[in-house]
Amino acid sequence: MSNAVVDREVDSKKESRANEIKRLERREGWKRRLPILPALLFTIVVTQIPFLFTLFYSLTDWRIDKLEPRQFIGIDNYTSLTEESEKFFREAAWVSVQMTVMAVLFSLIVGTMLAILLDRKFFGQGFIRTLLITPFLVMPVVAGLMWKTQMLNFNFGIINWILNGLGQESVEFATRYPMGSVIVVLVWQWSPFMMLIVLAGLQGQDPSVLEAARVDGASTFGIFRQITFPQLRPFLELGTLLGAIYLIQVYDHIEVIVGGQPGANNLPFYIAQRSIGGGNRFGLASTYSIIVVIASIIIANIGLRVLSNLLEDDS
Amino acid sequence: MALFTRAPKAEPILGQNRLVAHLLSFLTWIIGLMFFFPLFWLTVNGFKEESVASADPTLRFEPTLDRFSEVTEANSGLLSFAEAFGNSFWIVLISTAFVMVLAIPAAYALSIRPMKKWRDVLFFFISTKFLPIVGIIMPVWIIARDLELLGTRTVLVVLYTAMNLPLAVWMLRSFFAEVPKELIEAAQIDGCSLIGQIRQVLLPIVAPGVAATALLCVIFAWNEFFFAVQLNPTGASTIPVWVNSQQKFQGQFIASLSAASVLATLPVVIAGWVAQKRMIRGLAMGAIK
Amino acid sequence: MAEVRYEKASRIYGFGGVGAVRAVNELDLNIADGELLVLVGPSGSGKSTALRMLAGLETVNEGSIFIDDVDVTLKPPQDRDIAMVFQNYALYPSMTVGENMGFALKQAKVPKAERRAQVEEAARILDLEPYLDRKPKNLSGGQRQRVAMGRAIVRSPQVFLMDEPLSNLDAKLRVQTRTELADLQARLGTTMVYVTHDQVEAMTMGHRVAVLDHGELQQVDTPRRLYSSPANLFVAGFIGSPAMNLIETDRTGDELHFGSTVVPLSDDVQADLKASASTRFVVGVRPEHLIQTPDGAPCGATVVEELGSDAFVHASMPHNGTEATVVVRVDGETAITRGDNLTIAIGGPVHIFDAESGVRLGKPVT
Ligand SMILES: Nc1ncnc2c1ncn2[C@@H]1O[C@H](COP(=O)(O)OP(=O)(O)O)[C@@H](O)[C@H]1O
Ligand SMILES: [Mg+2]
Repeated sequence: MSNAVVDREVDSKKESRANEIKRLERREGWKRRLPILPALLFTIVVTQIPFLFTLFYSLTDWRIDKLEPRQFIGIDNYTSLTEESEKFFREAAWVSVQMTVMAVLFSLIVGTMLAILLDRKFFGQGFIRTLLITPFLVMPVVAGLMWKTQMLNFNFGIINWILNGLGQESVEFATRYPMGSVIVVLVWQWSPFMMLIVLAGLQGQDPSVLEAARVDGASTFGIFRQITFPQLRPFLELGTLLGAIYLIQVYDHIEVIVGGQPGANNLPFYIAQRSIGGGNRFGLASTYSIIVVIASIIIANIGLRVLSNLLEDDS
Repeated sequence: MALFTRAPKAEPILGQNRLVAHLLSFLTWIIGLMFFFPLFWLTVNGFKEESVASADPTLRFEPTLDRFSEVTEANSGLLSFAEAFGNSFWIVLISTAFVMVLAIPAAYALSIRPMKKWRDVLFFFISTKFLPIVGIIMPVWIIARDLELLGTRTVLVVLYTAMNLPLAVWMLRSFFAEVPKELIEAAQIDGCSLIGQIRQVLLPIVAPGVAATALLCVIFAWNEFFFAVQLNPTGASTIPVWVNSQQKFQGQFIASLSAASVLATLPVVIAGWVAQKRMIRGLAMGAIK
Repeated sequence: MAEVRYEKASRIYGFGGVGAVRAVNELDLNIADGELLVLVGPSGSGKSTALRMLAGLETVNEGSIFIDDVDVTLKPPQDRDIAMVFQNYALYPSMTVGENMGFALKQAKVPKAERRAQVEEAARILDLEPYLDRKPKNLSGGQRQRVAMGRAIVRSPQVFLMDEPLSNLDAKLRVQTRTELADLQARLGTTMVYVTHDQVEAMTMGHRVAVLDHGELQQVDTPRRLYSSPANLFVAGFIGSPAMNLIETDRTGDELHFGSTVVPLSDDVQADLKASASTRFVVGVRPEHLIQTPDGAPCGATVVEELGSDAFVHASMPHNGTEATVVVRVDGETAITRGDNLTIAIGGPVHIFDAESGVRLGKPVT
């Protein structure tokens, strides 16, 4: 046998072995992927595919109450958004922006303060914490009804009763300040959530770093600004992100508290109203939906980036 | 009384001075009680007569259970408490079971034996939470209508499963990620199959985390209103829809509404109290670890 | 019981892609039946990876691994008849000590009575009998370590694999346990591959020691020969405590200098030096092979470490135009203190390495 033949044999042996390894690795890859496939497929089927339908509807003039076949009208729905006829849409969009920003901001501030207060040893700490998180667990419908009928109500509301006691006139909160009323309830429900997240951050701090700072003579405020705050940053970002995701979609509180009065209808409410809630304008309402989706993706991205820059400059 | 009493590990930010510390504790008590007050008041009102509940606020009254029995009575033609509770119970139970069956293997593939590009996949799951529900509500309504599923429990089970799945994957992954991978490797060397590794080694360790995750799914599903009211106006309505229907447009209803609210909220609030610590850890650590 | 053979086995992270890392590169290693072979090297040198390749927990991208002449390269861990002890022990927290130890047997469907007998036998060997019903979290560190050992020996595998099994114990227990472990291995006569970053552990336990660095095998030898005849600069610096003095020097013709003295070279080293084109070399000499002699190289003591039986003097020596630090072993009851001047010379074996390639000159010492 010549050397060349031996070499070739060795080569082909090597090759079949390499193939075998590749085959095994591919199989291992699938073995690792397999457990996630059911969840992935389910999520795609239930969330992504309907979204494509929405995208398609938004390019049609579809009204489900009319028997006329739906027509493909390109981006007409989108261009119509700037017209006079769509001023309610723009109003709802503006309400959504204000409501989300304010609710997130106030809950974050209140939640952080609560967390700082709770992050100390005192009598009844666990009890008070339990009381404080309860609003987050309460069904939004119940929270809305309760605030509307028992706190903010013109006739029986505790707040007006207190105002009267102080010699003030009663205020019809839900009609005079519809958005404010909704935001109060949202902040009441979401501050506890922010508090828990910030508390997780505070308690995860490295105690030796704080002690070292104290030994170095840093003031309480200095320690908070220079050590605690930077460490809390990821937690604050997380709170903002999760809060924004949920709060931009708020529907229950609005339906229950102001129920379609002008001034506090956000996009989810308006969209439901214009489509399945009786408006039947599926094509146009789908256009609104697409705008909401795009906006929430942008807001989530920018919001997080702006926030992290802001905090960076500060510390 | 306290449900958990772990003292914070790090020194508190505030309250180095004794007097200040006492004042701060007092302040925290006041704020805590104020936050809870609306719920306290709601509960109190549930035990009043309608006329008392609609008069000037008072704590001096004869407590009665009448409102509770009134709201739980079956009213012909209207959605009854028993029906709504039954619907909610089954929908929540089955959807949470589905979520766990789908999410546990998924979280395994994202942490214990990670697939390639697992970060991208995890990000995909989270990003579906960014998709506002209104972005899919119309096609979902149309599809449900065409499949004759409007007004059934099925449609809510499917939607609640989808709604909670990303959150569950996210939380479970963070609990699983804390399990040393050597444990799974040891089981592998010991000749344990994949299913065995999950059942005999992994699940006993992460059971508390799995329970907390399931509980959070239960809470979100139990409280959900939008889908329930949009897709389910009559057929298989749930507790939130029932509570909302206790609002009357004439006559006094505050006491009965309060009683109904207490019934609707209590199960979930108690569950949340029990699992508060672990739930938040799963939520917060998911992002940071 | 079995012999183990690595044949040009490589583990390559990011195989085929850019920036692929060869964590273990073309490892050739024969481990005899019943041998206790220690894999030693600094952190990140690929010891764990090499061990995990043998366990079947890492893919072997190139080359093969044999256990008892059976090619196991492509076999999953459970088909290799091996047992592994992990650094963090990896005890199943939800199972008792007894269940932990019997878990593998249970997976292999061994009948309950037999399983129990085997677990009890292992517990007896390891003094774990009183703890069989406890959960791992209720055990001390040393007990947990023994449970991990127990889990391995219950199975009577072909090969034991140990990845830094003692590094979570405190110093005293570690020393005690390592003797017990070596003794246990000798009694059972089972082949063992033992990974550690601690060269003292490696030298005291191993029948032979394999030194790894950057995924490359540097030398495999008995502890004695590793010490007396390091194959290259890396091994010379890694093995021995305190470390060998390694002094870089320029050649002057066919002579090498150590401070002001000329290094005595054996004939074979001399021949290699003559044949070499390199200009820089490293003179290696162990602290105990430096002697004080009046015509030695002058230097000044900077630190004296008293260990009782002997002492190590750190001295600063003018060498090659700069100051070099050398460590000299002296008698325990020395009068030398900081600031004293002494004159030292090489009074024992000397090792010469090419500074560039790190390769040893001359024949290995036998
Ligand atoms: N999953 C991985 N991906 C990429 N590189 C890795 C991975 N695991 C280990 N490495 C690299 O392989 C090398 C060897 O690691 P290891 O075997 O754990 O070292 P040792 O046990 O000797 O400390 C290290 O340089 C490490 O960075
Ligand atoms: Mg290692």
